[in-house]
Amino acid sequence: MSDRPFMEPGLEEPILVIDEGPREQLPPAKWVRRHLFNNWYNTLITVLLVLALGYAAYRFALFLFVNGRWSPVRQNLTLFMVGRFPRDELWRIVTQVIVWSGTLGLAWGAAIAGARYRATLAGVPYAEDPLLAKVRRYWGLLGLLILILLLTESFGPLILALVAVGAGAVMQSVGARVPGHNAGFMWAAVGVLGVGGYQIVSGFHGTGWLWMGAPLAWGAVQLMRRIEWRSFRRRRIATIGSTVGVFGLAYAAYTILDLDGVGWDKWEGLHLNLIVATLAIVLAFPLGLLLALARRSTFPALRVMATSYIELIRGVPLISLLLMAQFFIGFFLSTTTPLSTLTRAIAAFTLFTSAYIAEIVRGGLQSVPRGQLEAGQSVGLSPVGVTRLIVLPQALRAVIPAMVGQFIALFKDTSLLSIISVAEILDVRSLVHAQAAFRGFGIAETLVFVMLAFWAFSFTMSRESQRLERRLGVGER
Amino acid sequence: MIQTPIDSGGRQTSVVWYRNIRVLRAVTQVVAVIAVVGLVWWLLNNLVNNLNRQNINTDFGFLNRPTQFQIPYDEGFNPRSSVWAMVLVGVKNTFLAGIFGIILASLLGLIVGISRLSSNWLVARIAAVYVETLRNIPPLVVIIFFGFALFTFGPFPVITEADQYSFFGSEHNWLILSNTVWGVPSLIAEEGAGLLWVGVVVGLVAAGLVARWRTRVFDRTGRPHHRLSFALGTFLVVAFVGYLIAGDAYSMSWPALAASGRRIGGGLRLNWGFISVTVALGLYTASHIAEIIRGSILAVPKGQSEAANAIALSAFQRYRFVVLPQALRVAVPPVINQYLNLLKNTSLGVAVAYAEITNLTLTSIGNGRPAPQSIVVLMGVYLAFSLTISFMLNVYNRRIQLVEH
Repeated sequence: MSDRPFMEPGLEEPILVIDEGPREQLPPAKWVRRHLFNNWYNTLITVLLVLALGYAAYRFALFLFVNGRWSPVRQNLTLFMVGRFPRDELWRIVTQVIVWSGTLGLAWGAAIAGARYRATLAGVPYAEDPLLAKVRRYWGLLGLLILILLLTESFGPLILALVAVGAGAVMQSVGARVPGHNAGFMWAAVGVLGVGGYQIVSGFHGTGWLWMGAPLAWGAVQLMRRIEWRSFRRRRIATIGSTVGVFGLAYAAYTILDLDGVGWDKWEGLHLNLIVATLAIVLAFPLGLLLALARRSTFPALRVMATSYIELIRGVPLISLLLMAQFFIGFFLSTTTPLSTLTRAIAAFTLFTSAYIAEIVRGGLQSVPRGQLEAGQSVGLSPVGVTRLIVLPQALRAVIPAMVGQFIALFKDTSLLSIISVAEILDVRSLVHAQAAFRGFGIAETLVFVMLAFWAFSFTMSRESQRLERRLGVGER
Repeated sequence: MIQTPIDSGGRQTSVVWYRNIRVLRAVTQVVAVIAVVGLVWWLLNNLVNNLNRQNINTDFGFLNRPTQFQIPYDEGFNPRSSVWAMVLVGVKNTFLAGIFGIILASLLGLIVGISRLSSNWLVARIAAVYVETLRNIPPLVVIIFFGFALFTFGPFPVITEADQYSFFGSEHNWLILSNTVWGVPSLIAEEGAGLLWVGVVVGLVAAGLVARWRTRVFDRTGRPHHRLSFALGTFLVVAFVGYLIAGDAYSMSWPALAASGRRIGGGLRLNWGFISVTVALGLYTASHIAEIIRGSILAVPKGQSEAANAIALSAFQRYRFVVLPQALRVAVPPVINQYLNLLKNTSLGVAVAYAEITNLTLTSIGNGRPAPQSIVVLMGVYLAFSLTISFMLNVYNRRIQLVEH
């Protein structure tokens, strides 16, 4: 705004800055004058706000350090994290945290490797963010972690945190060093580690082989693609054969191993919130994708059915679906064994999320220019081929930020589990305040802690999604 | 797209039937419909069978039978009232919380959204912190914070020792604060109220006509229309005449602790569930609306405000006549979406025992009413709300698009 010599003297500065252009570096005194005291009413507002903020900060500090009764939080940290998870089996969750931390690190590394590879192909320089920028990006989560570590009385959590962060860092550097054209294998490894981490707690048995088989099969398919086959037919046979083989191997391994774990009915606390959100989005994605394709299809029957499902689900609050799941989802099935509360809740979450994902994916499908479709048709691809090879890859790339946003909303919605008495982190409070020492004691304090836990994850993820949005250049093409 | 293949002799040949696109389309759709209908039929069949096996009625006759429970803070409702009456009370309370939440969220959202773009760094920072904090906390936790940390276990006294405030030396209570109910003064309709409302309606119609007349004059002659001042003046004059004719249309009702000390008589009584739901959802949704407002203002091309500068509009005029009209057009659809979310989120009132429709349905199921039908009614209510609002949104969108042509 400084380069406007034609402005009449006395013409007021705008109340709103329309364009947040590149920041100019000003000396502190000038900066303060420009941004806090540039005219009489801004001066007034600044003075009043400083006074009000000072008072609020004083009261808040008083609450934090003097009046706050933090013992209900401090003495029940394990309860807030994992609820009443069997304490002899706690090593499972400890291992899971370390494995998943490594998985996230590997995924991050693979993403870096992939980005570097694509940048090299496109002939653009690729610069990695310095460590400080990464730390700044995740300050919300790091703050929560440090706070929890400060509140604990033993060294166990500190060691766990250090090992987990270490595993993440090691795996990240491993992932980032893999040549870019092998990134596909890295993603298969990420899948195997992710499923494996989940099954460390849930046990390697039952239908677990299906979940483990999927990323393994993906890896096998990648491998088959690398090999030069003499004919297209042979390659296809090899691909199908290896997929079936891998699933068969997984089935055999799980039948022989049959290691029991702790079922999800015993999972509680923040651990459960994160897992329910992840499970719901993973389970809802295929359904949402199909719904979106059906809604966009040229088949009127499919369109009508998909649209009515989506509008029906989006028109009612999640609670009513959870209640429906609690009271009569069992009646819809002809099973004799009743499903557990959590299973029914996860079913409701999945149905609910699929409608929202369908709308997100539909937005992505609409963002693909028509010319892309026509180009696909003109090279003789079938309608399925056009969708699979041309439309979907572009559409799904464009919806990543919105999917992260949906994940955040879902994570916040997991607090609704407390209404049907599943002991997720908000409901753990009722366990805490049922203890004789904390009856009606420290209500605000436990709530603030729960808020902080939700906030740290959601805030970090929302920042990440904004960054992705900028990097993917959504809306700019 | 469909081409008839031509053979080597130049004659058109017909496509094999199983590759004919028309056949394929029809078959695919029929198969899909049969699959979905079959699935739904199977589910419903199971439902009816299971309900019959457990001797649960599948009709809606329970709606006419008494509820057999009391709704807290609702004197007009007794255990003999029917389930229908309960549904209506629930809808009314859902709607009340929704309306007041929406008003709060809109005002606060507009202020915070504009503040985020303030040239005052401190104002912009505080608004940003507000948005980033509230947006990332589940609304349920905010509601519970208000309901329990502020009311049940909070600083307010129990009803028997409620704080009573009276201002300006008045002998009445202006405000009664307790940890369950707040009392504020209200207006009570007297005989003349109907006449006053007639006056108000007549005034509104007259104001509309005057505004149209001024617009026509402006269109014809180009003279300043001042239609807002004209219309407001007309309305005030007519309404005042109505007020004079109606006599004492309304009288004040003051809140006072009843003799038992357990409840408040008179005035408007706000219960803790209502205050928690309304304020918490208002604050939460305001953070979303603020982001929408900010985004829409930024979406107005910079050239627009530069053009406004070029014709020497003041900062206020630039906002009132150039930036905001364009920004609001972008903002309206997502903001209405947020209103819809707020209305659906009032179902979280379950956590603070607010007597909205979800909570009442849950209580009624707990009292032995059949769950499937109750939940169908519940979903029907929300669907009616949602579909009405999205219908209005669609109409608005169409109008906006017409304007742009």
